[in-house]
Amino acid sequence: MTQDLTNQTPTGAFELTRVFKAPRSLVWKAWSERERLQEWWGPKGCTLKVADLEFRPGGFFHYAMHFSKDAPPMWGRFMYREIIDQERLVWLNSFSNEGCGITRAPFPQAIPLEILNTVTFEERQGMTTLKLQARPHGASGEEVKVFEAMFTSLAEGYGGTLDQLHDHLAKS
Amino acid sequence: MLEDQLSTMFAALADPTRRAILARLEKGEATVSELVEPFDMTQPSISKHLKVLESAGFISRGRAAQTRPCKLEAGSMKEVARWIDAYRHLWEDSFDRLDVYLNVSQATTKKGKKK
Repeated sequence: MTQDLTNQTPTGAFELTRVFKAPRSLVWKAWSERERLQEWWGPKGCTLKVADLEFRPGGFFHYAMHFSKDAPPMWGRFMYREIIDQERLVWLNSFSNEGCGITRAPFPQAIPLEILNTVTFEERQGMTTLKLQARPHGASGEEVKVFEAMFTSLAEGYGGTLDQLHDHLAKS
Repeated sequence: MLEDQLSTMFAALADPTRRAILARLEKGEATVSELVEPFDMTQPSISKHLKVLESAGFISRGRAAQTRPCKLEAGSMKEVARWIDAYRHLWEDSFDRLDVYLNVSQATTKKGKKK
């Protein structure tokens, strides 16, 4: 498994880089086709059902996350802002309702309403590097602070990676 | 956890001096005067930062001793860490699955003509 590089530099953004053993054309398809997205996107332990995919700037990817048979699904959506074929994707990610309307996170935490994600695709020798960057969009000052503290600044005070922080907390 | 409390915690973490104080306290207890030195700040401004950290629940201060040493309350950080983890895991899990999917997808393309 290729190592992720999680970067907590104080840019106010969450960054993640991963190299995939696949040509860029295929990786791009995985991001742009309904039945392929359904195979991999979403939190662990959920079954994703795609309600709609309009893969164009201004279009929506609307999906239901089913965590258990007994509970109603949690809905989410992407609103695509920029699509450069096989190079770059920019979208706003948020929770939503069944009708694809934007909603707050379904749990009591001050998460930014929308997160602006940018992912770039680069191919070298048949391998594709994905670089993901996420930052809050249109968030209140407090939400921005929350987000920055969450993804960037917190780790620096603890001398490096979040894993170290995690280990430290587990021990104490 | 109450939403307000979480906001207070994140607001407390939004300041670089306060994060540095937390990093220092991770190594062990310290009095205000011990904290003044490395940060090159006045005692009142350090005290102000400590007050913010204390009300957010990140640190506690000794009651008995005159110096009232500050101590890191690691339990309070757990909520924050849990939250950070959730977002990171979302992407790491998705990337893991994407990795598997791409491998399978390439294997089937080589065997038969899937697409």
